[in-house]
Amino acid sequence: MKERRSRNNTRKKKLKPSTVQYEKVQATQRTLNALEEMKDQTLKGGGIDLIEDQHRRGKLTARERIELLLDEGSFEEFDLLKTGRGGAFGREKTYPGDGVVTGHGTIDGREVFMFSQDFTVRGGSLGEAHSQKISKVMDHAVRVAAPIIGLNDSGGARIQEGVDALASYGDIFKRNALASGIIPQISCIMGPCAGGAVYSPALTDFIFMVEDTSYMYVTGPNVVETITHTAISHEDLGGARVHSEKSGVAHFVLPNDIMCLREVRRLINYLPSNNKQRAPILDLSDPVGRTDPALDYLVPENPNQSYDMKVCINSILDGAEFIEIQSHYARNIICGFGRLGGQTIGLVANQPSVLAGVLDNNASNKAARFVRFCDAFNIPLICLVDVPGFMPGPEQEQGGIIRHGAKLLYAFIEATVPRITVIVRKAYGGAYVVMNSKHIGSDLNYAWPTAEIAVMGPKGAAEVIFRKEIQSSPDPAKTLAARTEEYRKTYVNPFLSAQRGYIDDVIFPRDTRHRIIRSLQFLEGKKRERPDRLHGNVPL
Amino acid sequence: MFKKILIANRGEIAVRVMSTCKRMGIKTVAVYSEVDSRSLHVREADEKAFLGGSRPKDSYLAKKKIIDVAISHGCQAIHPGYGFLSENPEFAEMVSRSGLAFIGPPATVIAQLGDKMSAKAFAKKLGIPVKPGHEECISTLKEAAAIAEQIGYPLMIRPARAGGGRGIRVVDSKEMLRTAVESCQNESRKAFGTDEFFMERYIERIRHIEIQIIADHYGNVIHLGERECSIQRRYQKIIEETPSTAVDDSLRERMGAMACNLAREACYANAGTVEFILDSRNKSVYFLEINTRLQVEHPVTEMVTRLDLVELQLRVAAGERLQIRQEDVIGTGWSVEARICAEDPARNFLPVTGMITRYAAARIKNVRIDSSVEAGSLVSTYYDSLLSKVIAWGETRTEAIESLVQALNAYHIEGLITNIDFVNAVLNHPSFIEGDLSTDFIAEHFERGEMKLPPPEEWLHFMAIAATLIYHNRQSLVHESLKPMMTKVGSPHQSKDQFTYLTKAEDVFLELRLTVNPAPHNWTVMVNGVKYQVVTPEFEFYRRRIKLRIGGKTQFFHTRYRDNNIWVAYRGVTRTFGIYTPLEWKLFYHMPKPKKVPPEDVVRCPMPGVIVAIPIKQGDRIYRGQDLVSIESMKMETFVASPSDGLIEKIHVAPGQAVETGDVLIKLKTDVLPSENE
Repeated sequence: MKERRSRNNTRKKKLKPSTVQYEKVQATQRTLNALEEMKDQTLKGGGIDLIEDQHRRGKLTARERIELLLDEGSFEEFDLLKTGRGGAFGREKTYPGDGVVTGHGTIDGREVFMFSQDFTVRGGSLGEAHSQKISKVMDHAVRVAAPIIGLNDSGGARIQEGVDALASYGDIFKRNALASGIIPQISCIMGPCAGGAVYSPALTDFIFMVEDTSYMYVTGPNVVETITHTAISHEDLGGARVHSEKSGVAHFVLPNDIMCLREVRRLINYLPSNNKQRAPILDLSDPVGRTDPALDYLVPENPNQSYDMKVCINSILDGAEFIEIQSHYARNIICGFGRLGGQTIGLVANQPSVLAGVLDNNASNKAARFVRFCDAFNIPLICLVDVPGFMPGPEQEQGGIIRHGAKLLYAFIEATVPRITVIVRKAYGGAYVVMNSKHIGSDLNYAWPTAEIAVMGPKGAAEVIFRKEIQSSPDPAKTLAARTEEYRKTYVNPFLSAQRGYIDDVIFPRDTRHRIIRSLQFLEGKKRERPDRLHGNVPL
Repeated sequence: MFKKILIANRGEIAVRVMSTCKRMGIKTVAVYSEVDSRSLHVREADEKAFLGGSRPKDSYLAKKKIIDVAISHGCQAIHPGYGFLSENPEFAEMVSRSGLAFIGPPATVIAQLGDKMSAKAFAKKLGIPVKPGHEECISTLKEAAAIAEQIGYPLMIRPARAGGGRGIRVVDSKEMLRTAVESCQNESRKAFGTDEFFMERYIERIRHIEIQIIADHYGNVIHLGERECSIQRRYQKIIEETPSTAVDDSLRERMGAMACNLAREACYANAGTVEFILDSRNKSVYFLEINTRLQVEHPVTEMVTRLDLVELQLRVAAGERLQIRQEDVIGTGWSVEARICAEDPARNFLPVTGMITRYAAARIKNVRIDSSVEAGSLVSTYYDSLLSKVIAWGETRTEAIESLVQALNAYHIEGLITNIDFVNAVLNHPSFIEGDLSTDFIAEHFERGEMKLPPPEEWLHFMAIAATLIYHNRQSLVHESLKPMMTKVGSPHQSKDQFTYLTKAEDVFLELRLTVNPAPHNWTVMVNGVKYQVVTPEFEFYRRRIKLRIGGKTQFFHTRYRDNNIWVAYRGVTRTFGIYTPLEWKLFYHMPKPKKVPPEDVVRCPMPGVIVAIPIKQGDRIYRGQDLVSIESMKMETFVASPSDGLIEKIHVAPGQAVETGDVLIKLKTDVLPSENE
């Protein structure tokens, strides 16, 4: 057939189905279409129905969580198409992605790595492929020294895969432990996390839990009921409340997924990306020299009256911004991050309004772990001290207050970050030494004029020193009171310590912020040296 | 003129008197009690003297001690301030007998006019109208009918043993008298066990108007205009203004003449205030009482007349003649005052105590703040809860109110609950702006400290703008701080200048679109489609207030970060804004609704110890946060606070008892709030 020429005199070649070119284009098109379909399918996770189930339970899907956590459009996924082997004979059903979404993105511009378990795919259960994906992204994180965040929402090990599943867990645990202290690791428990799976979050630095929709325990209620014959719910066994108030496993508890992820973003802004870096400086325009006259009167005149240490904390930190770790656990000690002069600092403070601020088992544990985290990540430590001692009683002694107290002592001594202490009121006995005193290597120690630095309280001391006199006196109570007063006036003040140089200065409380920031300024260049050993033997 | 005076008072009035003395070159001696040892008034004085214990009778009411101090410090006069001994004739007598000048009227005048009954009788004799009412209580219908003829209708019957408004009956006409008396007596018998009652004229929509007078010892008396003090809670004034919207020139002249006449006839000297009640409907005035001292609200008169009342007091007491004649007294503009007290409006204005941790006031033109506190001040239970007074002046009433509102928007006191936002809400109420005032204003327009009317849309928009801009700028700041950590590869694409946020605060849901304009600190904000031009200041995130120029007008807001939300207070309206990106908002749909936790009805022991004291008893009404039990633990005394509002149902412990953590100390009967029934 003769080709018809068009008006413009160009040739219009009609593509007939039999031409080779057409087939080539078609083939490429088919491949592209197939890829798109494959990806779309995987992106749907377990399907619309399961997604709706997830939503009905008050939880978000894995991808929705990632979208919330990371900066818009910054997420790049790895292993979207990775699947399991399909069982021994390759005949088991496989799921692309294998129930976890892994990749990297930015949080406020900073590169982070993350994995988010997908409960809609086989209940988020962990199999070989699943854990390989997680291991890969953790390896990337360590290699580029960036933080890793894990969003846990999993039914546990995939029973069908048998020992392979256990082996997989081991791989992850190994990486958690080896990365510990190199990059910050954050876990969010946003659904179930049971059995062996709990050990991965446990090895990470911070655990976030969501109220009502998350729980973690080693042994589930079913087995508990079989063995102990008492029924117990998921919530009561390992819910957010239990872990924030009783066990101290959860560092943060938030009401829902969205708030949880916001809090993760907030926390990570305080931290450096790895242990060779410093935390980013955030300048809130809070003047360095800001004095607070209210602090001069914070400590009540009556030594038996308590006050809220948080008033002091809010006063000295930049913008009164403070993110508290484990706020419902061991409330007699306050640990958290704040900023001074824009720089992130780790704050450890006794809380006199709870249990008079004594150090007990839980408080020592809480503070010790926090101190070691700050040391690992170059975060200076600020200590506000008002501690009357260690908590007495057989319960504490049998609980091992000796070991736990030693833990905190060890943690402080080992820390080579700049350490500054301000003694606000009481600092008695061993607790004085443990709370970052000069004798254990603290860089700067200040005291308020209300500080009471002594071996023990004046009454106890008077009872011991003037025992004979009191016993032989006609009015023992009166003599004791007089001697107590005398002891208090002479010894229970910071000036004796200042005379010895154990305290660098007795400062006006209103100047606390200014003094601490000036100290941090010169400590910025502190050289950090460690003894040449693999690691010491922390009294765990 | 005196060389040195002693001020027998404390708090803001002592500071106020001292500031005038300083200006006039008079030395001052302050007296203080134990708990006031580091108060502002002690530091402002030239000399100070310790009086004794914190209870007023041990210190500020210790007449002899005060006079001894004055003499030993070489003072020539004593200024009593207001309250305490200012209207105590015995004290005035003792002062003059000891050779010092008492800065106030003579003791005999105080005695005569200080007693309400005798003052009323005196006024009546002079032909000054007094609110018709019968002084003694009666108990029969016959007596009632007779007295009703005298008093006139409408009248009010109230039981002799008054309490909680029970038994009060308003009678509009003769026909209703019998039923009213009977039902009043029935209720009174049931509630109080007696059937005696009082009768008096009933005035609806009472306005409280008072006339400031000043007289010298030579018989010259002038008045300095009126003050409107109708806005009261618990019979205490909280907002005062001058002039009054209900008083025109002729009424002012009439009332002024009555007041001066009374003062002249009583041989009054020095400053005083004659209080009247005004019937809004027919503008009739009735004499209420005369206060023979300087009043709390005197600054509004000073702002409008440009006179220093304390100076006039000192001059009169020093024997000078009044240099001002009545025709010289000219009032310019308008002045409004708000009293800031340490109390909780949501809990029936229960006074609160504590230490002020932050205190900041913005400097605004024509606003004066008379304060007795600053950061670090202690507010205790021993004295009244007045912290400071904020007084604004303007050419017009509207201007004065607006200045006062902005001053309150920017006034920031932390560490205690104050009534700053409550007072601000009153000032912004349309009825107040119209001038429609009466002593029932607060009961009429407020419930549990909240305005009954919903706030105007525009205010909520402004507040949302403030919260969102703060949030957005902080996020930008965070982003900036992380720039050093960002990768160098592939420079970031150009920054956005359009941002969308959704905010939710209680009943408010708004969508905000922010556009960053090229001019520095310049934004265009669309709130649900309404456009606003906003100019922001240099953001200082540690501050608790922010000043924005919205549409060219300066607005102040109080703000505070509360967890992830931003609390904003503006014109007495407070909201906590949660700010979300559109994605977060979309996904919020799936989040579980926050569970309504029923209020705790047991008070548990927080730590092992021994009960020291239980200052409350069974059946008491208590409020959330109120200290219920004091425990000694680890040699420290702490209080256990109530977790909810309610009544004490049963106290399970006694002083001296040892308790463990978690033990139930008290069982409460919690209030059922209306929202719980939804």
